[in-house]
Amino acid sequence: MAAAVSTTTAQAPTFADIDREVRRVLNPGGLQYWAWICFCLFFVLIAGALWTNQVYEGLGVTHLTQPTMWAVYITNFVFWVGIAHSGTLISAILYLFRTRWRTAVYRLAETMTVFAVLTAGLFPIIHLGRPWFFYWLAPYPNERSLQPDFRSPLVWDFFAISTYLTISSLFLFMGLIPDVANARDAAKGWRKTFYSIMSMGWRGTDRQWRHFSMAYLLLAGFATPLVLSVHSVVSWDFAMAQLPGWHSTIFAPYFVAGAIFSGVAMVLTLLIPIRKIMGLEDLITPWHLDNLAKVILLTSLIVSYSYICESFMVWYSQDAIELATFHQRYWGPQGYLFWMMVACNCVIPLLLFVPRIRISAVWLFIISLFVNVGMWLERFVIIEGSLATNTEPSQWRFYHPSVTEIFITVGSFAWFLMLFSLFARFLPIISMTELKEGIQWLREALRDNYRRAA
Amino acid sequence: MSDVRMVASFPDEEQCVHMIERLREARLRPKAFSPIPSEKIREALYEQPSRVRAWVLGGGIFGALSGFAITIGTSYEWNLNAGGKPIDSLPPYLIIVFELMILCGGLAGLLSFFFYSRLPVLDPTPGYSEHFSSNRFGVVVDCADTESSRIEALLREGGAEEITSEPL
Repeated sequence: MAAAVSTTTAQAPTFADIDREVRRVLNPGGLQYWAWICFCLFFVLIAGALWTNQVYEGLGVTHLTQPTMWAVYITNFVFWVGIAHSGTLISAILYLFRTRWRTAVYRLAETMTVFAVLTAGLFPIIHLGRPWFFYWLAPYPNERSLQPDFRSPLVWDFFAISTYLTISSLFLFMGLIPDVANARDAAKGWRKTFYSIMSMGWRGTDRQWRHFSMAYLLLAGFATPLVLSVHSVVSWDFAMAQLPGWHSTIFAPYFVAGAIFSGVAMVLTLLIPIRKIMGLEDLITPWHLDNLAKVILLTSLIVSYSYICESFMVWYSQDAIELATFHQRYWGPQGYLFWMMVACNCVIPLLLFVPRIRISAVWLFIISLFVNVGMWLERFVIIEGSLATNTEPSQWRFYHPSVTEIFITVGSFAWFLMLFSLFARFLPIISMTELKEGIQWLREALRDNYRRAA
Repeated sequence: MSDVRMVASFPDEEQCVHMIERLREARLRPKAFSPIPSEKIREALYEQPSRVRAWVLGGGIFGALSGFAITIGTSYEWNLNAGGKPIDSLPPYLIIVFELMILCGGLAGLLSFFFYSRLPVLDPTPGYSEHFSSNRFGVVVDCADTESSRIEALLREGGAEEITSEPL
């Protein structure tokens, strides 16, 4: 039974307590908040200026040259698409499984998904020499005898990423409607107008909830195979190519597991500071952190298995070119990147076997940063390392990013964090509706925490 | 003929569901407001599932057929012979078909949700109180003037915290 009134204590929050806590976050940000937004904007503007220069001067300002024509930009693309995936895992897949701990963290994860896909979508365009022709990828009849080849993984990408962005945005928007209506009823001034427009006149009638529940369930059902397909398609950008280090049948599950691994780590990277800064410890409890940590641990083990499996297949094939590529990957001039990746993705997450670490916000934050770094390196090692050591040893040439590429990468993180921070202050970052639906689970989690503390 | 609209506020879901059942037994047609999606309220009020699912199915089928039409149709229209591979190469096309099925099914789901929920709505909903988006469950029932005192008593007996009535 979902009781709306009970004794208001820290251990037994009521519907009103949840509303009060989440609405409190929607208060106007202070000086520090706007200083943070300006800090992010500064890096976004630098990245924008460097990209403008790149468009004017051409791709020569990057260090992209034969044989590494894909490097940091495509690494960023794959990294951000991967980050997006855990949001859909938590919001859609765990919704279908009725997982209890998702209710407090799913909105944050879903928001992260939308902004991560938006960021990812910029990189194929940034990577173009003539970005104003990006629409050539879209399959529309034209008179230049140009027709996208539907057998190309790059065209699959266009469909997959645009569908993913659309469905994720719809899913986020739909889930927001009842919460924004709640915020509207407590707001004043321009915020009331803003929330009134966003909530579209939602009143929570039986008719509205009846259709909402069905549409939300079906969208979750659609998002589940979609999320698995999108990163599989991204992995086929590489796996379909006849390049040692890329041409592998395990890439789809390997990339999907890696995506969830990095995405959940990014959820923790965002969640832990927000929880602390906004004082949401009573809504996002160690129980939630513990479960997120378990997902990271599981996916870390899958990713580690994939690394072993990939290496085993190269050894077992005894293909000279594959062996040479992988020898360079492990022991070549950039081998230190591979071993850093192994440390970040396979070794450090093993600390999560310790239950105390799984509920420690500080430890989790540090581990999540290592995983983010490790997963970015994984994409770089696969993309750049494989191209640098292709089938022709005479062409081998290792790449180092230019200042333009480094600052555009930094700018992408700033862009993502800026969008996310703006969202967190203006729209409910925690779903009040779903927390209330599962209020008894939240109470159990809080009671459990108090018992542990005692 | 209904003359009066009565709105009762309940502190929890169980009481709200119980009241809906009692009002339906009394051959009245109650409506409800709730701050959460309540399966119990839905079951108490509706026998049929939402028609949104039919639209999602239709959207998905439309999307899949569009995917086949775009890939096969345009491949034949702009015939690109790449290394002697078949012009209509179905395995890679199925990826496009799948993505368009999801896209159109999802869009159909959202649009049909708006349509059946009558969103966006600009006029205020009769009987709505700000508590109903926060921490109270509401039951709205229209009745004849002569019956209003009996219904009010029924609502009070069912645990209503606050009852308001307005003429229709």
